[in-house]
Amino acid sequence: MIGDIFFDLSVRSVRLNFLRSILASIGIVIGVVAISTMGMLGTNMQLQVKDQLSSSANTIVITADAIRMGPPGFSSSSASTEAGITKAQLSKIRSVVGANGTVISIYSSNTEFTSGSVPARGMIYGMDPSDVTEFLKVGNGTNIASINEALAGYTLAESLGIKVGDKIKISSASSGPPGNSSSASRATVRIVGIIDTRGTVADSVSSDNGIVVSREWYTAQYGGKDSYDQVNVIVDDTDKIYTIEDAIDARINTDEKSPAVRISDASSQLDTISSTLETLTMFILAIGGISLLVAAVSIFNVMMMSVNERVQEIGILLSIGTESGEVRKMFVYEALILGILGAGIGGVMSLVIGYSVVSAMMGTTKFFFLPESLIYIPEGMLIGMVVCVISGLYPAWHASNMDPIDALRSE
Amino acid sequence: MTCAPLISLVDVTKTYYLESGDFTALDHVSLDIMDNDFVAIMGPSGSGKSTMMNQLGILDVPTTGTLSIDGRNVADMGTLERTHLRRDAIGYIFQKFYLIPLLSAYENVEYPLILKYKKRDTTGRASALLEAVGIDNEKGVHRPNQLSGGQQQRVAIARALVNDPKILLCDEPTGNLDRKTGYQIMEILCSLHKKGKTVILVTHDPKIAEYANRTIRLEDGRIAESS
Repeated sequence: MIGDIFFDLSVRSVRLNFLRSILASIGIVIGVVAISTMGMLGTNMQLQVKDQLSSSANTIVITADAIRMGPPGFSSSSASTEAGITKAQLSKIRSVVGANGTVISIYSSNTEFTSGSVPARGMIYGMDPSDVTEFLKVGNGTNIASINEALAGYTLAESLGIKVGDKIKISSASSGPPGNSSSASRATVRIVGIIDTRGTVADSVSSDNGIVVSREWYTAQYGGKDSYDQVNVIVDDTDKIYTIEDAIDARINTDEKSPAVRISDASSQLDTISSTLETLTMFILAIGGISLLVAAVSIFNVMMMSVNERVQEIGILLSIGTESGEVRKMFVYEALILGILGAGIGGVMSLVIGYSVVSAMMGTTKFFFLPESLIYIPEGMLIGMVVCVISGLYPAWHASNMDPIDALRSE
Repeated sequence: MTCAPLISLVDVTKTYYLESGDFTALDHVSLDIMDNDFVAIMGPSGSGKSTMMNQLGILDVPTTGTLSIDGRNVADMGTLERTHLRRDAIGYIFQKFYLIPLLSAYENVEYPLILKYKKRDTTGRASALLEAVGIDNEKGVHRPNQLSGGQQQRVAIARALVNDPKILLCDEPTGNLDRKTGYQIMEILCSLHKKGKTVILVTHDPKIAEYANRTIRLEDGRIAESS
């Protein structure tokens, strides 16, 4: 292409009408920036979720199946018993998992906390203190050592200004546990540690905005000792996760029509979130695509102007023996140059604007420079250039099909 | 020994179909032009001179009749073949010079060579031809709009000659030049004729026509006089 007389002619034509060419290319710049930035933003969001979920990729979450929560004919007492994982089911899970992982039984409830006079809502988890360190990290303070001690999630601690040693009141009214006579009763626990932030996790323990207490304290306040809200299995070898899931399923969900428990893991949650984010990304990319469509019209217009201004020159070229394919090539080159110009500027701007947008919207650029994210820049540039070339095809065809006599006569 | 004509028109008619009615620009014209002829085509406006030049330059094909160049019937050629014949066998010199405005004088001369050989000229032919018509290297880098009319026509002659065509088609080559420069251009064309080129010249000027060894006068699309 370089050294080709037709490419030289195209470069000179663009240079001769530089302002017009730059203005037409701005459309492509905007299109490339829109596509690249939106694509990178979507991908960065997906990568962040994936990264957060991968920390619990080795975890199987087992919950009681929703259908069993209250089918017609169930009495409230039996529903309460059937609402969680029973001790019998737990021991079956333990026997299936054996030495291949750690089984953690968890009680949980949504409740209200009060620190000083500031109220807040969040999750309260009851579990064996020795299980806490299996998947949570106490960043500040120590683990629970006695019944009245608790750990606070990072976000909750931040919003309520809780420090190690503070006492918080926990309402037990909302869940209405059996044996709790006063609806306004408040039990007090002392915070002994703050759990490090975990972000989006797949193990259904949203500790960031909750607190963790010992299971003795939890069952004393909320009852339901024989019914766990969820059982997490932390598998030693992630490759065996599906085998263990299948084994648990075969052992507990004996009735295929009405499974007793629901078994999920990070990958199934990731699939759901990824598919939602992908749909969102595609939608945003389509909006970016509209700007490229507008750019295509602008490039088409400029190319038609270029052809119409050079009719006599086209006549000269054709009359002295230039093949119509060569004339066509000259105008396609011109469109390509506009594309390269727009895509080049757009690519550089995408890097800067994309970085700023990702940083501003997500608060982190940890994933920005990964190939999955940066690939949107060359992709956007390529789409921009292809759009330009396509826009130049008709003007090029029009030029190459002119009658040389008529073209020479035009002034 | 009889020699086949280089260009042969047999009963050539060119009709333009217009909304206002059909217009016959060339009406049953027959003409032979031999190799190394110097032919002047004269006639008033609308007599069919330009149409004749378009036919001889294979920019157009006859409505009826046969036009042969070097023994090949133009009507039997495809578009690409006609394009290649224009590039290789015919050199065009126009009244308005028709140089490519985006190319320098040198590049204008080099351009037909690139069309033919698909590469830049490394033989020095383009420079040599420019010098032969009186354009030095310094002037060669200038764009057409930076040259005088006479200089532009010299560049156009060099461009017409660069692929060593048999035929030079000159459409009023001195029409846009002052008398002195016009004669200089005609001297160049005469010397090219002497070197074996077939020169076909359209002109209004009888003095310019005197350089030719044959004159054809057209009137209303017919040959009124041939000498």
